[in-house]
Amino acid sequence: MSALVQTELLGRRAIRESLRTPEALAPTLFIPVFFLVVNFGQAGRIFPSDSTPFLYGQTYAAFQLPSSLLLAASFGSAALYLVEDIEGGYFDKLRAAPVSRAALVLGRLIAEGAKTALLTVALVVIALPFGVTIASGPAGLVLLVVLTSLWGMVFAGFMQLIALKTRSAAATNSGGLVFFPLLFLTPNFVPRELLTRPMEIAATFNPVTYVMEALRSLILQDLQWDVLARGFGVVAAFGALMVYLNLRLVRRYD
Amino acid sequence: MNALAIEAEGLVKQYRGRAGTVDAVRGVDLSVTAGEVFGFLGPNGAGKSTTVRMLTTLLTITAGTARVAGIDVTADPDAVRRRIGVALQEAGLDPRQTGRELIELQARLFGSTAAEAAARAEELLELVELTEAADRRIKGYSGGMKRRLDLASALVHRPEVLFLDEPTTGLDPASRLGVWDEVRRINQRGTTVFLTTQYLEEADQLCHRLAIIDDGRIVRSGTPASLKAELRSRLGLTSDPTLDEVFLDATGRTRERVAGDVQEVTA
Repeated sequence: MSALVQTELLGRRAIRESLRTPEALAPTLFIPVFFLVVNFGQAGRIFPSDSTPFLYGQTYAAFQLPSSLLLAASFGSAALYLVEDIEGGYFDKLRAAPVSRAALVLGRLIAEGAKTALLTVALVVIALPFGVTIASGPAGLVLLVVLTSLWGMVFAGFMQLIALKTRSAAATNSGGLVFFPLLFLTPNFVPRELLTRPMEIAATFNPVTYVMEALRSLILQDLQWDVLARGFGVVAAFGALMVYLNLRLVRRYD
Repeated sequence: MNALAIEAEGLVKQYRGRAGTVDAVRGVDLSVTAGEVFGFLGPNGAGKSTTVRMLTTLLTITAGTARVAGIDVTADPDAVRRRIGVALQEAGLDPRQTGRELIELQARLFGSTAAEAAARAEELLELVELTEAADRRIKGYSGGMKRRLDLASALVHRPEVLFLDEPTTGLDPASRLGVWDEVRRINQRGTTVFLTTQYLEEADQLCHRLAIIDDGRIVRSGTPASLKAELRSRLGLTSDPTLDEVFLDATGRTRERVAGDVQEVTA
């Protein structure tokens, strides 16, 4: 049986697992919506759409939406389910079967990508009443969903690394908190050129910045290929790195 | 003469940690003939599970060689995985799936088509008497039901060698007898069974031959009858000892132990 079919089978199982734990999905949607509403409520009047050039005529909620999308994408539960599999012995059951080690890693990541795609669509729909539109049109919406989903897979890959290395739910959970400093070291309230110099330098070195700017460009402007290339480039590079490191860990898992 | 289902020579497992090197298994030799139920006994921490995990490709082997179903475990682990079934100490189940989904997924991962997997799941669920509970989520199963399901999931691909690591630990007497019946039935169909257990009565009831491991080394091996006869003769007893007494003698956990009794032997 090909690794591709095994990946699909394990991915379907991971999706079933998520659907059967709806209580784990609720915060993934609620917290990003909370941040969107609160940030828009607090700063919406500071940045009025008609006099703030970086909003391109939209409300401040449109500027904030990428932060919420990235937050939702980084709340994946794949790694915690993996720890449960490890602790319960099911991971060993799969390892003792002739299952491709790549399928063991990718099955969950692909499921996480699919879940993030649904969350992205839900968040975009929730953002519509706040005056948000996707300026880049239907193609832009597709790219927005794809890019957010790919980021979800990258971050799930990072979390899986912690899960495989520590085999501990507590450590894996704590590892997820890494995303908060990464998120706040981005131009998440104003564009990069308006940040203070130290923050601008930090944001420039932060890979999440480029994903955020790509997502934002899709919401606020027409397709900006150079910005998109940087966003997709970051996701591709870190995605490849995460898959490589995950595979290495699974193959050496003792 | 029957072929060997499991062969191990000088099997060693060392763990390296901050506190230094720990020798979990210190040179185990095993020969298990195809078609037999082979018992692997030992006290807690003796190296039973570590040995099973090496033989089932779950742990790397520090030194020595192992062949399962004629295939070198280190050289071609995937080929070994296609020929073995594994039910480990922790029933490796996904509590969010139903029993049927779990078996079908396992069968698909071993290469069955969806239709074949569904048919095999039906057959195995019937075999372990879980047909009625098949569409319920596993998290609601009792300990005995989980063990039986784990056993069924290890059989999806009709393995040549079945590894059972303490399959009855924590089960009530009725469930334990149920698992024994399954093991006998599986063996009668031609599957070699490698069984680790702490229950000596279990080994006495089920195993054609057995080996006792202590502190990472095999200290006794043979048929239950031969081990009892050897102890009776050595200690000059008037009746056959129990397997418990053989075990206690072999692992040095008896007050009557004579210095030099425990020695390394080849199974």
